[in-house]
Amino acid sequence: MTLLWLVYASGINGYMLPWDKLAQFVVIATAEWFDALPIFGGTLIRNFIAEGAVNDRLWSLLSFIHIGLPLAVLALLWIHTHRVPGANTNPPRAIMVGTSVALVVLSLVRPVTSQGGPADLSAAITTVDLDWFYLPVYALIYRWSPGEVWLLVGGATVLFLLLPWLPPKRRRKAGFHILLHPDNRIIPVRDGEPVLEAALREAVPAPFECRNGGCGECKATLLHGSVDYGLYQDSALTPDERAGGKFLMCCATPLADLEIEYVPTKTPGNVPVRVYTARVMRMKLLSHDVMQLLLKVQGDEVPRFYAGQYINVLLPDGQKRSFSFATAPHERDHIELQIRRVPGGLFTTRIFEEMKEGDTLQFEGPLGSFFLREDSRKPIIFVAGATGFAPVKSMVEHAFHTGMKRKMYLYWGVRSLRDLYLPELPRRWAREHENFAFIPVLSEPKPEDEWTGRTGLVHEAILADFPNLSEHQIYACGSVAMVQTAHPAFVAHGMSEHDCFSDAFKLAPHLRAESAELVQPGGRR
Amino acid sequence: MNAPARYAVQGLLYAAFIAFVGYFANAPTYEPLAPGYALVRLSFSHGAQRKEPCRKRTAEELAKLPPNMRAPLDCPRERSSVIVELEMDGELLYRIVAPPTGLAGDGASTVYRRLTVKAGRHHFRARLSDNVKGEFNYAAERSIDLGAGRALLIDFNAGQGGFLFRM
Repeated sequence: MTLLWLVYASGINGYMLPWDKLAQFVVIATAEWFDALPIFGGTLIRNFIAEGAVNDRLWSLLSFIHIGLPLAVLALLWIHTHRVPGANTNPPRAIMVGTSVALVVLSLVRPVTSQGGPADLSAAITTVDLDWFYLPVYALIYRWSPGEVWLLVGGATVLFLLLPWLPPKRRRKAGFHILLHPDNRIIPVRDGEPVLEAALREAVPAPFECRNGGCGECKATLLHGSVDYGLYQDSALTPDERAGGKFLMCCATPLADLEIEYVPTKTPGNVPVRVYTARVMRMKLLSHDVMQLLLKVQGDEVPRFYAGQYINVLLPDGQKRSFSFATAPHERDHIELQIRRVPGGLFTTRIFEEMKEGDTLQFEGPLGSFFLREDSRKPIIFVAGATGFAPVKSMVEHAFHTGMKRKMYLYWGVRSLRDLYLPELPRRWAREHENFAFIPVLSEPKPEDEWTGRTGLVHEAILADFPNLSEHQIYACGSVAMVQTAHPAFVAHGMSEHDCFSDAFKLAPHLRAESAELVQPGGRR
Repeated sequence: MNAPARYAVQGLLYAAFIAFVGYFANAPTYEPLAPGYALVRLSFSHGAQRKEPCRKRTAEELAKLPPNMRAPLDCPRERSSVIVELEMDGELLYRIVAPPTGLAGDGASTVYRRLTVKAGRHHFRARLSDNVKGEFNYAAERSIDLGAGRALLIDFNAGQGGFLFRM
């Protein structure tokens, strides 16, 4: 509303400067309208009461307002558009060109000219050709009274201000969650919010153009769940496409938790997503159920990626399995994956029982918005659960490589000692780097482990060491259960939502179980 | 719809858009003042006399005050209201009691009134009181030929002798 009124005031001020009959009407009506307010009470009109009353100083003020108000509008618009996720302030190009041409033609055919010569403050305005788009309020000032017009515009302002809450809802629903592919990421969506709005708010690189169901740019595939498709043009989403599972993200609102697939416009850093073929260089059993896989990408073309991102291994039947890079981005020779065996799992069983060195596989990547943020000075707490150590390894090695001086704490939670599959590596990091600390935490140590270190749940160990998390960044990679338990506890201890990074943080418990398995960060997805 | 028909319909819609915007951008004409009428505007800002006159402080009172505040006169701040009556052709056209502005009631009284009258020759008589007794200590009258669409300003400036009739 502030913006609307500032734009209106800028326009009114523009009508004053030509200083013709319309300007005289506008300045006097404006002064009389404001003088109806007790705070002015007849003082403003004194500035325009007679010939000679309008001095240079007043004229300078009007000119200053003519510049100052639009600048204020620009500043507020800038803030406003930055608060709207992915704000698109331009209409479709065809409409923009058509409207511009139409208005230019109109200005040539019927140009606006000065009315009635220079303003004469000794004469009354008897007739004036009003701009009825902009100045109908000014006619009302004399048809009604200034006080009644204040009531009208005040009431309209209050009504518009209250509009977002009208009609009042008895109780706001919690909203739903959306599992996004290819990101394998879950985002929350508010009650009644279009999918695109939620995606843009979460910085998902979703495609869009018109945002009103006209262009079809934001078309996506609904894999699971149901939506209210909203209002859109048939040309943007044909009945066949809709029957085939397509929907428009800008119009559709979820009616349940969703699983959707879309085509990202970009990945972090605009690193292109491509399909690669790789050869298995080496396989090494790191523990009873974790296999280290070193992949040599064909053509020696290791993709550029951000530490913490992942790849999707493409299975022959079209399915995908996601694994984080365990190597740092500067490692250009090979890609390391750490894969935990899932009992009955299609791909992991194949790795442990059939795959051998020299085999080839295909993968797409890099993917994911979970990566090390290097624009902060806050100390980092890495929370790894089991093979969640893989992306942490990538991030920590990258941090060492770039000379990052921020303090880093790695809390690695596993059940028993045999699950701690690369314990010497983080211990070596701790010895070699003053800014790194390693705290292994066992939740169910066995007697034969003779464990004397930390025990319990990994997040409880963190909270014991850091009662206040407001000045830390947290990167959590592990099982869904671990993250779901840790997240509320971290928030309760001051963790900022802006300083926690884990796709699984936003996981909804009611999403399909197999989908939930797919989105676990770390080595097994 | 084939392409030529689509463009034709678009052209028609743009033409309708141009016509709509073009017409209402400066039509129809608005009449703030009906034909055959003129405008009388009463406007002034005047500080009335103080409700209580200034009093000369005694030497004892002055001695009790800090040196920098030893003003010889003690003047209560509050001013009287201004009462104005405007008659046209012997009939009361407008009367107002304008209180002083300011939290302490020590500011000027401001009056603005826009009055629409029939055009023609009129005899105006204005009176103003700015004292606590309510006595009209300023008055002026004038016969003026007020043509249609003209505006008469009745201003007040005590320094210039009181009411000013300006066309």
